[in-house]
Amino acid sequence: MSNNKSLTTLLSSSFIGSLLTIVVLAGISPPVSQAYAAVETTIKKITLPASTITLPKSTLPGYNLALQKCTICHSVDYIHHQPPGMDQKAWTSAVLKMQHSYGAPLSESDINSIGAYLSVVYGSAKADDPTIISASQSPISTPASGEALDVQVLLTSNGCSGCHDINKTIVGPAFKAIAKKYKSDTGAISKLVVSIRNGGTGKWGNMAMPPMNVNEKQAQALAEFILQQ
Amino acid sequence: MADNKTHLVQQSRRQFLRKASMLALGASPLLSLAATDNNEGVSLAGGMRPLVKYPGKRDLILVHSRPPHLETPFSVFNESLITPNDAFYVRYHLANFPTEIDLKKYKLNINGAVNKTLQLSLQELKSMAEPVDVVAVNQCSGNSRGYSSPRVFGAQLSNGAMGNARWTGIPLRTVLEKAGVSPEAMYVTFNGLDKPVLPTTPDFIKALNIEHALSPEPLLAWGMNGEDLPFLNGYPLKLIVPGYFGTYWVKHLSEITVLDTEFTGQDSYFMNTAYQLPDNDCLCVTPGSTAEKNRPISTLPVRSFITNISADDTLSSAKPIELEGIAFDDGSGIKNVDISIDGGLTWLTSTLGESLGRFSFLPWKLTVSFAQKGKATVMVRASNNNGEVQPLRASWNHGGYRRHAIESVAINVI
Repeated sequence: MSNNKSLTTLLSSSFIGSLLTIVVLAGISPPVSQAYAAVETTIKKITLPASTITLPKSTLPGYNLALQKCTICHSVDYIHHQPPGMDQKAWTSAVLKMQHSYGAPLSESDINSIGAYLSVVYGSAKADDPTIISASQSPISTPASGEALDVQVLLTSNGCSGCHDINKTIVGPAFKAIAKKYKSDTGAISKLVVSIRNGGTGKWGNMAMPPMNVNEKQAQALAEFILQQ
Repeated sequence: MADNKTHLVQQSRRQFLRKASMLALGASPLLSLAATDNNEGVSLAGGMRPLVKYPGKRDLILVHSRPPHLETPFSVFNESLITPNDAFYVRYHLANFPTEIDLKKYKLNINGAVNKTLQLSLQELKSMAEPVDVVAVNQCSGNSRGYSSPRVFGAQLSNGAMGNARWTGIPLRTVLEKAGVSPEAMYVTFNGLDKPVLPTTPDFIKALNIEHALSPEPLLAWGMNGEDLPFLNGYPLKLIVPGYFGTYWVKHLSEITVLDTEFTGQDSYFMNTAYQLPDNDCLCVTPGSTAEKNRPISTLPVRSFITNISADDTLSSAKPIELEGIAFDDGSGIKNVDISIDGGLTWLTSTLGESLGRFSFLPWKLTVSFAQKGKATVMVRASNNNGEVQPLRASWNHGGYRRHAIESVAINVI
């Protein structure tokens, strides 16, 4: 305030004199330069390296489900670095804990299917064990024809909201940012449907988007919802 | 003595190089360097844990990357009694934590059953009272979990999820007294800036009972070994609970709530459901069974390590060798550290070094001579003023928590 007052007074006297004074003031004014330096040093920022560990590929349906659901909250190395030789029961109860204790969006069939997959690729189970085959009958839900698709249910059950918010970036881009990017793209819906169903990486950074376990109609409903934001 | 030590270091370096070159067969030299000698006996489903570089840290062992969990390579404990900031282990639970902190916006909130809620900037905290220092061990509840037998799920840690640092801050009770704690207060809870990814996941909140919170020990610390806290260890403020496991040492501390009720609800998960031990004399169960009752993990049991030799080292029988290591406990005070070089048949008393405080690593050393050539097992066993002695065999619990059995190092004598 006092600076402003003195500047006004100076400006009203001699124009040239005031310019000189402003230069001098700017040069010697300690509060201003200190405040500026303080702004620079109050912010600390880190950039974390991306995870390079991926889940072992498998034709078991639990593979895609694990890609999609486990990585909402944690990287794959959490799973990769568990003890060797755990059986199907142990792995399935570890997945159940994710739902029970940490609120992971997993249905009972998701839990069984992911448990079966993990115990085959990391544990003692074999892909042709009868218990693995029966636990892997994870159906991709198909809406009855004409049935209304509840986008909020799809967002929750697929864990979309773990990585995406409407307004702000979490792990993935905000839905509003996606809508803005595709605003004038006439093929936007089909592009988003492909991204939702197949996953992808590189469009928004190096964090991979896992393939979502939804059918064409569900993906379309999600794409329409996102583009309306 | 110095000669002996150099000798040991050179031996283990040679051995390290030999192991590295064996691994390099069929792989690129860079790959083999990235994956050498850091499993330390812990076997994993998906193979070795790599060494990784994170902000403010030297190469540490990767436990998991999102959220970050990094283990200190054990050789660091032979470098100095104080664990350097860039080597200190890192452990988060929730992936939605800040990677940018602006001190202009940062506040510590004190609320709940208090006369006056407070919102303090770091600068206000720093000027509230004369800063105090404590050297204290921060050890993860699951340190050494990878050695559980039978194995248990969870981060498969070797012995490096611990560290010893000089923490600088003000006593927790200073801010509690300023806020004016209700006479009905029962617990004080602590929350940091880290958040769960999903709203259905519990937040990471820990609680201390009111007597403990108002005791002189817990600190609100901004300094670690004379510097700001490393970002990944909880910058700008961390709760320090000397003698207690690291789970209570809340990072990026932002909210302190005084409760005049029990701590319940979804966000009490990490206090009331996780980090629990069987509530019995041994704090253990027979594998496969469950305890009738559990209680939250709390203080550090007495523990000791040998830091200047490691498994498969080759030592000479030609001259005496000075063994060195560390011991620590919950602050009761280390009474003795005994060494056996014959697999536990006979024990020798080591010389304890200068104490940096009762919550710190305490150094010990002992010069020994190996009379016989061949394989030998060196063991270290500490006891404390509270009458605790390290057990020969580890007890078992579902979380693989609180391991503190006598450590053995199998070596070769030539």
